[in-house]
Amino acid sequence: MAADKNSAAFDSMTNNHPNPDDAKLSSLLRESRVALPLPPRFQDNVWRRVADTEAGKTAGSPGWLEAAIAFVLRPRFALAAVAALVVAGAVIGVHDGSQLARHDAQTRYLASVAPNSLR
Amino acid sequence: MRRSLFILMGALAVGAVVFGGSFWIARQCCVKQMAAPNDDLGWLQSEFHLNDAELARVRQLHEGYLPKCGEMCARIAAKKSELESARGQSTNVTPAVAQALKEISELRTQCQAQMLQHFLEVSQAMPPEQGRRYLAEMQRLTLGTHEQIEQSMSDHAGHEHHQH
Repeated sequence: MAADKNSAAFDSMTNNHPNPDDAKLSSLLRESRVALPLPPRFQDNVWRRVADTEAGKTAGSPGWLEAAIAFVLRPRFALAAVAALVVAGAVIGVHDGSQLARHDAQTRYLASVAPNSLR
Repeated sequence: MRRSLFILMGALAVGAVVFGGSFWIARQCCVKQMAAPNDDLGWLQSEFHLNDAELARVRQLHEGYLPKCGEMCARIAAKKSELESARGQSTNVTPAVAQALKEISELRTQCQAQMLQHFLEVSQAMPPEQGRRYLAEMQRLTLGTHEQIEQSMSDHAGHEHHQH
């Protein structure tokens, strides 16, 4: 009889799919758990981290700024922005350069026909 | 927060450098491309859309006018030297100084009349619309400056008078 009981327990323990309803096994497993001690000042540290997170949400960088930076730094956007800046700079530069060249040429003509003493 | 701001500032600085560099290069290239160092009439041709025949006629008038203008300028410069000599160390307007001033003024008037005559002739060598625009522009750029000075002085005098 005892041999049958031991055999059943052994079968249950060696089984890959233990029966979840096996109350004895569960209690044995529960008892076998090792309760590790918490590190020193564990609770204080947890509360400090919670407080830091809360403070970061209120006084730290706003969410929109982080989102904007993430958007700006995407390679596709950065490349498009650089291209747009190059084109805009070139267009405005050509416009400004032509105005300057025109002004220089006008000054040159005026200096030849109307010296400063007459103006 | 600080890291985010640094990244944002860095991105803005890079953008500014890219824009500024592109602007400067384009501007320099354009100025070099458009400059005609040996031709005083380059501006006339581009501004008033002159064809080669019109430009040749304007050039002829221009080259005819330059010696006369140079001669008048030399006479004015000589008269100004006389004025400086007449002034000497004197603190009063002597008759010699007044005479020199009068002669300089007369020379300037002659010179301006000659200049206006030249502008009229050049304007007539251009297509009518461009000629009118040229004449108005030349009068604004030469005689207009006197009007601006006189206007500002009369405004100032009026303001002073009003204050008193």
